[in-house]
Amino acid sequence: MVRDITLGQFFPGNSILHRMDPRMKIILMLTLIIFIFITFNFFALGLVVATVVVIVGCSGVPVKLFLKSLKAVIFILLFTSVLNLFYGSGTALWHWGFLSITLAGIYFAIFISIRIIELIFISSSLTFTTQPTDLTDAIERLLKPLNHLHISVHEIAMMMTIALRFIPTLLEETDKIMSAQKARGADMESGNIVQRIKAMIPVLVPLFVSAFRRAYELAMAMECRCYRGGEGRTRMKQLHYSKVDFYCLGAVLIIVSGVILCNIFLPAVMR
Amino acid sequence: MEAFIKAEHVSFHYENEDEHQVVQKNVLEDLSLTINKGEFVAILGHNGSGKSTLAKHFNAMFLPSDGKVFVDGIDTSDEEKKYDIRTRVGLVLQNPDNQIVASIVEEDVAFGPENLGVPAEEIRKRVDSALKAVEMYEYRMHAPYKLSGGQKQRVAIAGVIAMEPSCIVLDEPTAMLDPRGRNEVLTTIEKLNREKGITIILITHYMDEAVKADRVVVMDEGKILLDGAPREVFSHVEILKKHRLDVPQATELMHRLKSHGVNINEMPLTASECIKQLEAILK
Repeated sequence: MVRDITLGQFFPGNSILHRMDPRMKIILMLTLIIFIFITFNFFALGLVVATVVVIVGCSGVPVKLFLKSLKAVIFILLFTSVLNLFYGSGTALWHWGFLSITLAGIYFAIFISIRIIELIFISSSLTFTTQPTDLTDAIERLLKPLNHLHISVHEIAMMMTIALRFIPTLLEETDKIMSAQKARGADMESGNIVQRIKAMIPVLVPLFVSAFRRAYELAMAMECRCYRGGEGRTRMKQLHYSKVDFYCLGAVLIIVSGVILCNIFLPAVMR
Repeated sequence: MEAFIKAEHVSFHYENEDEHQVVQKNVLEDLSLTINKGEFVAILGHNGSGKSTLAKHFNAMFLPSDGKVFVDGIDTSDEEKKYDIRTRVGLVLQNPDNQIVASIVEEDVAFGPENLGVPAEEIRKRVDSALKAVEMYEYRMHAPYKLSGGQKQRVAIAGVIAMEPSCIVLDEPTAMLDPRGRNEVLTTIEKLNREKGITIILITHYMDEAVKADRVVVMDEGKILLDGAPREVFSHVEILKKHRLDVPQATELMHRLKSHGVNINEMPLTASECIKQLEAILK
């Protein structure tokens, strides 16, 4: 059942985005996401939309996959845009009882829905083109300055690595336990929600017991291999910024300044 | 031959707290054992004989309650030398799933050297040669959960080799594997011993695996029962039986024939030896 799970949403390829250093990718994606939310007129918004279209096109990942990732937020998307439609102030273009639609309301709705779509597309293009292990690696290195605040970044990264490593193992185990309990006559597929949740208890208890046993053994195995935290540890995989990273950095800087200029010199339709 | 690991009068006990009274459990009792450089030693014993506990004394995971263990001349109770000992003696555990840390094979193999602070290029070299030594190089970019049990255990062995130890202790490495996986792991171990001269200590309860070693140590209730070459150890069929231990099937068969009056001088260890002897008798 769960044999063929893929972790994360990584889509193998060799595009510019795949070749970028994961650290640079995270930084640039975050910058773009911030600037989606400080677009105040259609020119600025259009600039960001164009950028996202280029990113999606460059990723080498089928557009279908991007659209699929929208499915999860479609309800929030509709809900917030409809709500915003009635939210604006000014002269009403149409009204019914206490509900009225204004021009500002229409703008609000358009901006909000486009912002949400862009947000999903940008974050998806990060996860589609980066292996989960590279992501944890990059996060560890990017957060390194937090060590000065006595936050152990290495430990957080190690936890993420181990979690990623054990997800498939624990899924497989859940599968086994469920089969074993079914063989003993457990009924997990019928009944209402409360009954089904109750039926999960005989699965969860052995799963937790085994997870703790695994944790104990893993800790021992790590100690045997001289693990003693992040201090004095080197890494085999070194991350290097390459030319591609600097080209992308340059492109994003140009776009960002474009957005700022549009915001300053062109009339705002959003506040 | 040069002694590599020396256990001198080692006792190990822990206290088990029952409802009201404290019960002391003795796992090892006044055990002395010397393991030489380059040897392939199998430690045999059934569950609860203390063989796994002994294995964990060899890399300072456990410290003796009484007595001393020396690895390469270093006392294992020296807290500061703990990591020196663990780079010299690698330990491979029973369940390969619970000792693989990373989600990519080569990164897991790199875990040990990374902990030791080895420079990046050097780690790369060690990882490649360790993966080649266990014949898992083609799988270096794979996710461990997609590998078979035998392959996972070989990755775990590679992870230990990458730390360049002079000795590898394997604590029932084949107990969770199918016959094919067992074979893969055993072949790898034998190769490491013969080609790289790594001292191997194989803890097992399979007689057929013990036969492949240079020396077999049989343990029972925290003590050493027999110690010698496989042929010598398995000729003591009566003693082994008395302590609820098996002998290889071939030996068992010939032992029974002998007790029924068939003239047999030497006990066979493997099926092929047994066939040869039977052929000679039946001619």
